[in-house]
Parts: sequence; C-alpha cells; structure tokens
Amino acid sequence: MSLTRLAIKSLLQRPARTLLTIASVAASMAVLFSLLSFNSGYQEGLQNQMQQMGVHLMVVPIGCPYEAASLVLEGGDIENYLDEGIAGKIAGMEGVAIAAPSLMHAIVRPEDGRTDIYLGINEKQLELKNWWRLNNGEKPDGRLLAGDDSLLLGWDAALIEKREETGEKLWVPEIDAEFTVTGILEPTGTQDDGFFYVPLHTAQERFGLDGQITAVQVRLTDPSLAADVGDELEKMFPGAEIIRMEELLGSMSALMDSARALIFAIVAVVVAISAVGVLNTMLMSVFERTRELGVLRATGAGKLHIFSLVWTETLALTALGGLTGLALAAVAARGVEVVIKRFVPMAPQEAMTHFDPRSALICVLAILGVGLVAGIYPSLRAANIRTIEALRSE
Amino acid sequence: MKQNGQIVYAQNLAKSYAVGKREIEALRGIDFTISPGEFVVLLGPSGAGKTTTLNLVGGLDRPTSGALSVAGQMVAEGELHATERSLDALRREQVGFVFSEFHLLPTLTAVENVQVPLVWVDESGRDRAEALLCRVGLGHRLTHRPDELSGGEMQRVALARALINEPALLLADEPTANLDTSTRDEIFELLRELSNEGLAILFATHDHELAERGDTVLRLSDGVILDG
Ligand SMILES: Nc1ncnc2c1ncn2[C@@H]1O[C@H](COP(=O)(O)OP(=O)(O)OP(=O)(O)O)[C@@H](O)[C@H]1O
Ligand SMILES: [Mg+2]
Repeated sequence: MSLTRLAIKSLLQRPARTLLTIASVAASMAVLFSLLSFNSGYQEGLQNQMQQMGVHLMVVPIGCPYEAASLVLEGGDIENYLDEGIAGKIAGMEGVAIAAPSLMHAIVRPEDGRTDIYLGINEKQLELKNWWRLNNGEKPDGRLLAGDDSLLLGWDAALIEKREETGEKLWVPEIDAEFTVTGILEPTGTQDDGFFYVPLHTAQERFGLDGQITAVQVRLTDPSLAADVGDELEKMFPGAEIIRMEELLGSMSALMDSARALIFAIVAVVVAISAVGVLNTMLMSVFERTRELGVLRATGAGKLHIFSLVWTETLALTALGGLTGLALAAVAARGVEVVIKRFVPMAPQEAMTHFDPRSALICVLAILGVGLVAGIYPSLRAANIRTIEALRSE
Repeated sequence: MKQNGQIVYAQNLAKSYAVGKREIEALRGIDFTISPGEFVVLLGPSGAGKTTTLNLVGGLDRPTSGALSVAGQMVAEGELHATERSLDALRREQVGFVFSEFHLLPTLTAVENVQVPLVWVDESGRDRAEALLCRVGLGHRLTHRPDELSGGEMQRVALARALINEPALLLADEPTANLDTSTRDEIFELLRELSNEGLAILFATHDHELAERGDTVLRLSDGVILDG
C-alpha cells in the first residue's frame, strides 16, 4: 500500500468534513479561475476588436480632439481642418490599404439637450468598417451614399430620431437641408452608433467647408508597419497629427492593468480564506487522530513518514477541490459570461471566458500553494506527537 | 554489553516520570532477557509497569537509567541512547506491537490494515498480507472493515499487522484483555504456535491463568520483578 492511498483512506474517515472542505476549495478555485480567465479573455477580446477595427493610424489636424465626446464638450466646432487631397496622397503610399477621409461636424441643440454629430464619409469608410451591417442584415455598400441627400444612420442616431424605415425624410433646420434615410446600421457597441453619416461632398457643401476634412483613417496592409508609415506621414504632413492606434491600445491596457490589480487582490483573499479552511480541517483531523498516529509510529513510521502522510492528505484535499473547482468553472463559464457582458462596459462581443491555459496554470499553482502552506503546520503537529501519550489517549 | 544471542537484554532498567514536582518510579531497575522463540509472560497488576516495560523495549520511550538492547541493537546504556531514527527503524524491522484495544485504522479493510507497516518501507505485500490473514484464521474476512469484525477477529488482524514485517520480537500489551475466555485462549494458542516457530514474545497481562502457559514468567509489582 502506498502512502498516498493511506492518505486518501484517512480522508474518508470524516467524509462529510472532507467533502465540505473540498467544496470550499472548489468554490474558491472556481471563482479564481473564472476571474482570471475572464480577465485574460476580456483583454484578448478587446485587443482583437481593436485589431479588427482595422484602423491602424489616424491623421487629424494638430490640436484636433479626435473623440466625439471631446468635440461636443468643446462647443461643437473643429477649428482646424485638413485638405481633402491628402487622403489621396496617403492612399498612394506604400503599405497603405485604405485611406478613408471624413468630415465631422456637430449640430448642437440645447433646447433638446442633444448634439448630433454628422460625419461626411465616402465609400472608403464603408470599406474600412467592413464589420458594419445594416439592420436588414446586408453589408452596406456605396449605393447608400449615392444620392446627395443620402443619410445613413447609426443605431443610436436612428433611435434618437425615431426612424425605423429607409426612405423616410429628415429635415435639418440648422443647415436648411432635407435628407432621405438610406439605411440604418446595426449596433456596433462603439461611438459609430451615434453618428449621422452623409456623403462627404454633401457635408462639405452644407457645412461650408469645401475641400476640407477633419480626419483620414488609415488601414495598413500589415499592422506592424504602423510605426514606419506613421513616421513618414509626420514628415509628409507637418500640419497634421498622427495617432497610432497602438497608443490607444496602450492606454486601454493601463486601464486593464488596474482592473487586474483589483482582481489579484480578490484572488489573494479568496486563496487565503480557502487556505485557512484547509488548515482548520487538517488540524482537527490531526487532533482527533492522535491515537491513530501513535499506532502508526508503533508500526515503525518515523516523524518524516507522519509528516508526509498528513501533508499528502492536505495536498489530496486541495488538489481534489481545486480540480473540481476548475471543472465547475469551465462548465459554468458560459453562464457567467452572459451575466458579465450585461454589467461590464465595452465587453467584447466574442466569447471571453474560453479556456485559458495560463489562468489554469496560475490556479494549479495557487492550489499547490494552498496545499503546501496549509499542510505544513498540521503535518508538523502530527509528526511531533508524543507516541506513548498518543497511544494512551482515547 | 554481553548479549549471547538474546533478542532482549535488559539490565537494571529504570524509568521514572516527572509529574509536576513528584517523581513517579514506574520501573525501579529490572533485569531480564528474552531468547529467540521464547514466550515470556509479564505478569502484574494494574500500575505495575507492564506497559512502561513494553514501551521501553519497543523504543517508544527512553529509560531513565540501565542498559537495554533489542535484536542486537543498543537502545540505551547508561547515558547513551539510540537515536529516534534508529528506534523507528528497529520497530520497522524487528518489533511488532499488539494492544488490548486492537488499534486498527477504521477506514481500512483487514488486508489494508495488515499492509500499513509496509507503507514505511515502500512495499505493497498484498499477497503476503492475505497469506498472513489466512495464517491467523481470517482468510474469509480479507476485505472486511474493523466495524464489521468481532473483537477476536480484530485482534487477529492486529496480530497479522504486527507480523507483516517479519519481526524477531512481538510485544503484546494485554492483547486478550478485551476478549472472552474462549477467544482469549484461541489467540493465546496462536501466539504459542508463533513462538514455537521462533518468534520471541513479551506478553503483558494481569491474568494469572495465562502465566503458567508461557515459557517464562516475570512477576512485576510496583516497578520491580519479584523472585520465583
Ligand atoms: N506518561 C506517564 N506519566 C506519568 N506517569 C506514568 C506515565 N506512564 C505511566 N505512568 C505511571 O507509571 C506506572 C506504571 O504504569 P504502566 O502503564 O506501565 O502500568 P501497567 O502495568 O501497564 O498498568 P495497566 O495494567 O493498568 O495497564 C503507573 O503508576 C502509572 O501511573
Ligand atoms: Mg498497561
């Protein structure tokens, strides 16, 4: 008979207590694994999505706030513009796949408490945002922008305007213009949802900004060229600011880092609690089995044997609990994800809590750590019992 | 130290316990030897020092003074004491214990209980354990757990456990105290057979009836061995 088998048999002496301890370790490991793999899935998903957005560089006028939110805060108008000709030049550069010009203009309506952001775009924009879908399921194409009065509505924009059908008219008194809704976009979960898209030349005309644009969004043939192409753009257009999307990704990661710090704090507490639980169970077990341990010494076990036995018991207990927890977490992950997506902002669309080997490894190490640490004290107590007194005890 | 092939050699063996400020002299200097195959009955009333003697011989406790050697190994000689590790090894290799309370592990089957001493030497020995259980008359109870066995059966399992490491010496601390007379006699007969096969036995009891049936009787009273 092996020491391990003897250890497992000893755990069966108090099946209820053993099961409860296993359950508590399992619960904490399930929490641990879910948190970790959610965290890694969240980051990965977010990064994928940024990547998928396929906008690697953005060329904007110097000092231009490139977030629509900032635009609104700063009073609705952009001071600086770029010449629309640069879009063509950028498109001709090596490594550039698509260069999509756009003109952003905000119409502030304080009486309604809202600001509408109009974005003049051309078919390049549709090419760039190849994940856009219309609410009838189709992929948007150039026909949507064919007429001068074409208006493509983002999902939220359509909600605000209470438009549901294509062909409906929309009157914009501020610029004395009437548009015809050519399509409504499915929600993307990004700021794109809030925009009113009109043909670029219409926007330039209506807003009195002939030949001008506020941004060129660039997709490269290979994202790793971003630094090189970015440098070249800076040289070519000294009056423009080049935004590399990695930078945006960078600040996102900083945000995620702090989320991770929080998660690890929770993890530390969870692990500590389960360690104390295991410690308690094993100590009780050692006290109760004092006489039995004395008998083992009488049959020739040395202190080291007794230490190993109790330590093995602890490890078996935590390993069993840990594996159960991992299995539980893997099964429950789907359900958890649905809940999480509802409460976490900017949760990526794709599956976040897919099985993550790195998180699993961290969990396994945590389990081992709990087992090793929580086992030491009870094992020492067991090894140091006084044999003759243990044999005389009841 | 002269041993002359003795399994146990004890000379002027004494043990006292400190209880608070008082010294309790459990053994006041006893002399005895046990030869291979000898069946020694240690007879004495409660508190005489029987368990103390067995604990010393089995290396579970250390004498206060005197000389003791077991199976050719020095356990104590004056100020000198064997290390705890070597006493563990002595029990593992040369000594088997049986107790009046049987002391079986409740979650293990009969065979597994018998295998316990082999855990410390990394052996399985299932076949040997089964053979030993057959030898003590429990071939039909191999996979029963202690709570499914009678007292006599439990003591047979405990005996097989004590024998699995093929010891030279069996230390039996009132092994029949919790058994009825007929079961007591069966167990005693079993031990007699084993002793005839060469096992040295130190059998502690307060049962005078059993005393005559051993090869040698050591009458222990208040920590001293009485003459005759
Ligand atoms: N650990 C101890 N601490 C203090 N005194 C002890 C200890 N162990 C034994 N004694 C004392 O030593 C004496 C002999 O005890 P021992 O257990 O050897 O007797 P025994 O002959 O086995 O008795 P019994 O038949 O009741 O088992 C007793 O007076 C007992 O109280
Ligand atoms: Mg006793």
